[in-house]
Amino acid sequence: MLDTTTIPLAVLLFPGGLFALAFGLALKGLDRRVAARLQGRVGPPLAQPFFDLVKLARKRTMVPDIAAEPVFLGTPLIGAVSMLLAAALVPIPGVYAPNPLLGDLLVLLYLLAVPAVVLMIAGSASGSPFGAIGFSREMALMLAYEGPLVLVVAAVALRVGSFSLSDIVAYQQTHGAFLFDPVMWPALLAFLAFYPANLGIVPFDIPEAETEVLEGPLLEYSGPALGLFKMMSALKAVVVLGLGVALFLPLAPDGPAGLAVHLAKLVVLMLVGVTLLRVSMGRMRIDQAFAFFLKWPLALSVLSLAIVALA
Amino acid sequence: MTLMQTITEKARNLAVRSPWIYRINAGSCNGCDVECATTALIPRYDVERLGCQYCGSPRHADIVLITGPLTARIKDDVLRVFAEIPDPKVTVAVGVCPISGGIFRESYAVHAQVDQYLPVDVNVPGCPPRPQAIIEGVAQAIAIWRERI
Repeated sequence: MLDTTTIPLAVLLFPGGLFALAFGLALKGLDRRVAARLQGRVGPPLAQPFFDLVKLARKRTMVPDIAAEPVFLGTPLIGAVSMLLAAALVPIPGVYAPNPLLGDLLVLLYLLAVPAVVLMIAGSASGSPFGAIGFSREMALMLAYEGPLVLVVAAVALRVGSFSLSDIVAYQQTHGAFLFDPVMWPALLAFLAFYPANLGIVPFDIPEAETEVLEGPLLEYSGPALGLFKMMSALKAVVVLGLGVALFLPLAPDGPAGLAVHLAKLVVLMLVGVTLLRVSMGRMRIDQAFAFFLKWPLALSVLSLAIVALA
Repeated sequence: MTLMQTITEKARNLAVRSPWIYRINAGSCNGCDVECATTALIPRYDVERLGCQYCGSPRHADIVLITGPLTARIKDDVLRVFAEIPDPKVTVAVGVCPISGGIFRESYAVHAQVDQYLPVDVNVPGCPPRPQAIIEGVAQAIAIWRERI
């Protein structure tokens, strides 16, 4: 087990940086391919998100006249960098444990909120009315799903007695995964409802709804700036799914086999929780999504915190 | 060939596999739009296998499909939207209306042909054109786009 990986290497190369980006893009490509197959189409090649990035890098970035230019161009950069850092914070059981100097679960929670905040600011800085609508929807959705996430994380941390992801992984490796522990099932269900919303896919893609608000905050972006947002969303998939694995099923052998098992888990989470969900559902309205998150995931996460506190 | 040229050539080969499509309805009767939207770009004919993706915003577009005879009412808006599309871009005129005005060509209310105002690269005639023809037009547009990106 590599405990003392140097921090720059972890952020830029593995498991953050290049590795996370490549894997995130592959996950997105897989998602599009499988979604196409489920709809009876051939679908794009697996490397399609990668082609998109190269294409966007070669296009021009246009800034609208009424946009606040520094903010408009700065936000995609902040978003992509925050996810790059977050990717280095997620442990890969048996292979990689994040350096405590880099941060713990709390830092990861804050970093996970950055993409939504960045999209809100980008939407309002672009000066487009669709961006403003995206801003308000993103904010409402974030208020709805952030609460359950914090409570889920609190429940897991309370059970383990530590906010360090390495401790959480180590605890489950000795005491058994939380996935098989009925006490943790409410928290698991709440997390399963949270991650599609955080990844912004169909039942919960209300802020970026293409057919309603023309991709909302992303409407005015083009070229490399848009590419940075695509990078951010690919990295976010790896971070959020990796967090789910670390919280509920971090059982894996040491060495390369552990890495393979980890990646396989992410692929399963992506296909079931994202692809299957988004091809089989329509989009919710923002009030429906808000009510849903304040009803079920919040109740479940409060329940799980209470059970853990009593148990 | 220097290393830089090789890398540029490689990047171009990758970039050309991701053409995003945007439609402008310049006063079309909707016949061509139905062909574009529901026939040419859905499961049966699926241009996503060419890497194409429909985009809602002109800022994301690479290939522009224009339908309709460019009515007087919509002309300024069409030109404005077209100017919002970042370079390099390729324009495809879908249907006979943007090419010649079609059955509306005598009308006082249309400004056809579209290529008086916009640089049209590919013409796909038909009223409406068959889905296969639209896909062929998109494929030719990709070949032209390759020289520009």
